[in-house]
Amino acid sequence: MIKKFVKYGFACLLMFSLSGCEDFLDKEVLGYSTDENFYDTKYKLQSALDATYDILQSDVFNDTEWRFGEATADDVWGADEGLSSQMGQLVSFRFNTSNSYIRDRWEINYKGIHRANEVIANAHRVQLSTDDYLEYKQVREILGQAKFLRALFYFNLVKTYGGVPIRPEVENVDNLVVPRSSLEECYAYIEKDLREAAIMLDTRYVRTDAGKAGSGAAVALLMKALMYQATPGIRSDKWEEMVRLGQYFVDGMSMTYADMLKWDDSQEDWEALRKRLWFKPQELNSPTDPYEAPTSALPDLHMAYSLSYTDCYGASIDYIDQFFQTGEFCSGSIFEVVFKESADGTGGDTNEGGYVFDDMYSTAPVVWTTDNILTEIFGSDPRRSYNLGHQTYTPDGELCQCGPGKFVSLKWYTPVKERSQNAGDNGKNRRYLRYADVVLMYAEALNECGNGAAALEQLNKCKAQVNTLNNSTTLYVGGGYGYMRDQIWEERRKEFAFEWDRFFDLVRQKRAAEVIKAYGADRANRRGYYFREGVNEIFPIPQSEVDVSNGVVTQNPGY
Amino acid sequence: MMKIDKSLIRVSLVLLLAPFVASCDDDEAAEPHAGMVVDKTTLAINETMTINFEGTADQVAIYTGDESHNYELRSESNTGFVVNKGLFTYSYSSPGTYKVVCIASTYNELATDLRQDTCSVWVNVIDDETEIRNISCPQILYDEVFAQKLGDSDWVMKLPRKVKYNTAQPSISLSQRLKFYIDSDSTKVYVGGEAFGSTTKYDLSKTQAIKVVSDFGTERDYTLYTVQYPEFETFKINGVEGELTRDEFDYSALSYTVTLPAGTDVSSAVPEFTLTAGNETAYIGDAEQVSGASAVDFTAPVVYRLVGVSPDNAQAVAESTVTVTVNFE
Repeated sequence: MIKKFVKYGFACLLMFSLSGCEDFLDKEVLGYSTDENFYDTKYKLQSALDATYDILQSDVFNDTEWRFGEATADDVWGADEGLSSQMGQLVSFRFNTSNSYIRDRWEINYKGIHRANEVIANAHRVQLSTDDYLEYKQVREILGQAKFLRALFYFNLVKTYGGVPIRPEVENVDNLVVPRSSLEECYAYIEKDLREAAIMLDTRYVRTDAGKAGSGAAVALLMKALMYQATPGIRSDKWEEMVRLGQYFVDGMSMTYADMLKWDDSQEDWEALRKRLWFKPQELNSPTDPYEAPTSALPDLHMAYSLSYTDCYGASIDYIDQFFQTGEFCSGSIFEVVFKESADGTGGDTNEGGYVFDDMYSTAPVVWTTDNILTEIFGSDPRRSYNLGHQTYTPDGELCQCGPGKFVSLKWYTPVKERSQNAGDNGKNRRYLRYADVVLMYAEALNECGNGAAALEQLNKCKAQVNTLNNSTTLYVGGGYGYMRDQIWEERRKEFAFEWDRFFDLVRQKRAAEVIKAYGADRANRRGYYFREGVNEIFPIPQSEVDVSNGVVTQNPGY
Repeated sequence: MMKIDKSLIRVSLVLLLAPFVASCDDDEAAEPHAGMVVDKTTLAINETMTINFEGTADQVAIYTGDESHNYELRSESNTGFVVNKGLFTYSYSSPGTYKVVCIASTYNELATDLRQDTCSVWVNVIDDETEIRNISCPQILYDEVFAQKLGDSDWVMKLPRKVKYNTAQPSISLSQRLKFYIDSDSTKVYVGGEAFGSTTKYDLSKTQAIKVVSDFGTERDYTLYTVQYPEFETFKINGVEGELTRDEFDYSALSYTVTLPAGTDVSSAVPEFTLTAGNETAYIGDAEQVSGASAVDFTAPVVYRLVGVSPDNAQAVAESTVTVTVNFE
C-alpha cells in the first residue's frame, strides 16, 4: 500500500511540474540573437557584410561564372561536351529548363542578394556610441559595400535571365513568391544601388582594407550596367551617361554628388537621403566635419587606378603578374574576389576557392583553348604568350602538362610559391573588374556618341600599354564608326580573354548568335551551332522556380 | 486455459494480416488518361507554346516531335520531356509540322503494373520573317557602314567617295558587298532579281530592288538607294585653291584651308567651286550658294552644307558639312 501511495504521489508531482513548463517556455530567452536585436553595432553589421562577400568566394558562385561566362562562348573548348551531360547540353544550347547549372546560378546569386539585404535592411538599427564623423562613415561604408554587392548579384541574374524578381529587403513568409520585374525595372534598381554606393565609399581601399569594394568598383560596374542596356549603333542616353562617367573616372573631370545620383529633390529630400545612407546628419555636424552637399564635388577618382603594370606599392610587374598574388590589388585592379588561405588547416571547405582555377589549369583541364583559337584572338599580339601549350614552361619554371593540342591560360595558373598549404584552398584572388575595362568601355561609349577621335585616344592608351611588352609602336588607326567599334571589340577580346566574360560581352554586342554559330559550325560536335537567335541570349528561368511559384514566375520566351 | 489463449491470438493475428496481404495482390495502377490543351497549334519560330496537361497520371512526358524528340523514334534514343505540375512550355527553332505526343503513365507502388495512355496533336511552325533589321556595306575599306531606314520599305546607304586611312586617302568604289541582318536564317534575299550572295559585289551607283521571301512564302519588296556624301571637286577663293582635309571618323565632315596673301580682304569674297556630281547643291545655312556669284564673309570660318539627293527618291539624302578657313601668308 505504501508503495502504491508513493507511486501515485510521484505521478501527481510530475503532473504539476509538467504544467509549470508552459510558463517557463513563454519566457524570453536572454542573450539570443534575432534579426530584431542583432544588428545594434557596426561590428555586427560588418559580420553580416562579411557573410555577403563570402558568397563571392563560394565554389558554386565561381563555378557558374566560368561555365556561363567562358565555356558557352567561342574562346574555349571543353572536356564535358557530350549531349548526355548537363554541361554538354548547356554549352551546346540544347539544355532544358531543368538544367542544374541554370538553377545553381540562380540560387547562388539570390543567396548573395539575401545576405546583402540583411545588411541593407538592418543598417538603421545600428547604435553609435559617439557622434564622431568617422563612426558614421564606417557604417556608411558597410552599407555602401552591401549595395554594391547586391547590384553585382542582380546584374549577374539580369544578364543571365533577363528581368528577374526583385526580392523585398525584409523577407516575410507571407510573400515568398515574387513575380518578375521587367528588365528596365531591374536595371533601374541596380543603377540606384551603384549610384548610391559610388557616393558612400572611398575611391579605393588599400593596405589592411584592400579587397573592399570602393567607389571605383561601383562606378565601373555602373558603366558596365549602362553598357549592357545600350545597343551598339543606336545612340542613347545610356551611352551618353557612360561618357559622362568616363570623363569623371578616366579624364578626371569633376562630378557632383547630385550628378552621380541623378538626384531629384522632388523625390527625396537631401537630408533624408543623407540620413538613409548614413551621412552624418547636418544638425550634428561639428565645424570640422566635412559636409556633403548635392553640389559638392565627388572625390577624385582618376588618380586611383592606372593602366600601367605596377603592383600596389608602385613597383613594376609583368603583365601576367596582374593575375597572380604578386599583383593582387595592383594599380589596374578595381575589384577582386579575395581568397585567403584558411588558418584551420583543413580541406573540404566549399568557400575557400580551392578549385576555382585548379580545374582549368591542370593536367586534365575542364576547359582549354587551341592554337587556332589563340591565333584568331591574338594574331601576333604579345599577350598570346601568356597562354601555354603542352610541355612548355610557366614563368616560374613549372612544366605545363595540359595535354597534347591543348592550350591553357596563365590567367588561370597559380605559381608554385603562391599555392596554399591546404588542399581545398586557393592562393590567389580572382580579378573581377579591371581599369582597362573602364577605359575600353569609355572608348566604346565615345565612339557610339560620335566622338571617334576621343575613342581612338582611349583605345590607344590601352594599346600603348600593351606595346611596352615588346617595344612595339603599332597603334590602332582612326576610321569610321564601324571600324572603330570593331577595333575596340578586338582589343576587348584580347585584353579580357579567358576572364569569364566573353559570352555576356558577345550578347550585349548583339552578335552572340553570329559568332557562336560560326564557331559551332567548325566543330566536330557542332557545339554552339544550335544557338537560337532571339532565344538563347538569355537562359531560361529554372523550372523549379516556375513550379514552386505555380507559374507566377513566368518563363522566358522561347523556352 | 493458457493453450486456448495462444491459439486465439494466432488466429486473430492471421485474420488481421489477411486483408493487408490480399490488398497487396490486388494493387493495380490506376487507369491513366492522357489529355492536353495546347494554347496554339500554329506557331512562329521561337514562339512559346504552352501545354497544360488535363488528364490523370502519375507521370507525364511530352515528345515535341522535332529533332531528337520524335515519339516514333523513341526506340532510337529520341527522348521526351518530363512535365512538372501539368505545365510544359516549348518553342521550335525551325519551320515544319510536328506531332506532339503526350504520354500519361500510372504505376502501382512496386511498379509491377505500368500503364500508359497517349494522345497527340499536330502543330504547324511557320517562319514568316520578311523584316530587314539592318543593311550594311561590310567592306568600306575596314569599316562597316550601315544603311538608314526610310519609312517601311526604303533604305538609304550613304557612302564616302574617299576615306582617310593613316596618311593615305583611298577611293571607295560604288561596287560593294552587302550584308543583310534578318532574324531568320531561312529567309531568302534577292538583289536585282538575283539570289543574294555574301561575296558578290553589287553596283550601288544605281538603285537596287530587293525582294525578301520568307520560308512560308511571303514576299516583301524593299528599295536600296545609295547616295555618296557630296564634296567640292575644287574650291577657290581669289583663284587660290583650298586644301582639303578629311575627317577619319566622320565621312560627312570635310574642311578646306585657303591660304591667301596677307592683307587680302575676304569680308566679301566670291568663291568659285565645282561639286562632284550633278545632284549636289551647296548651302550656307539655308541660302543656296552659286559658284562665282554668291559673296561670303570669310573673316571667320564658314560652314557650307552640301546636299546630295538620289535621282530616284528625293527623300534619300546625304549631307556633308564643309568648314572653310582662310589663312594668310
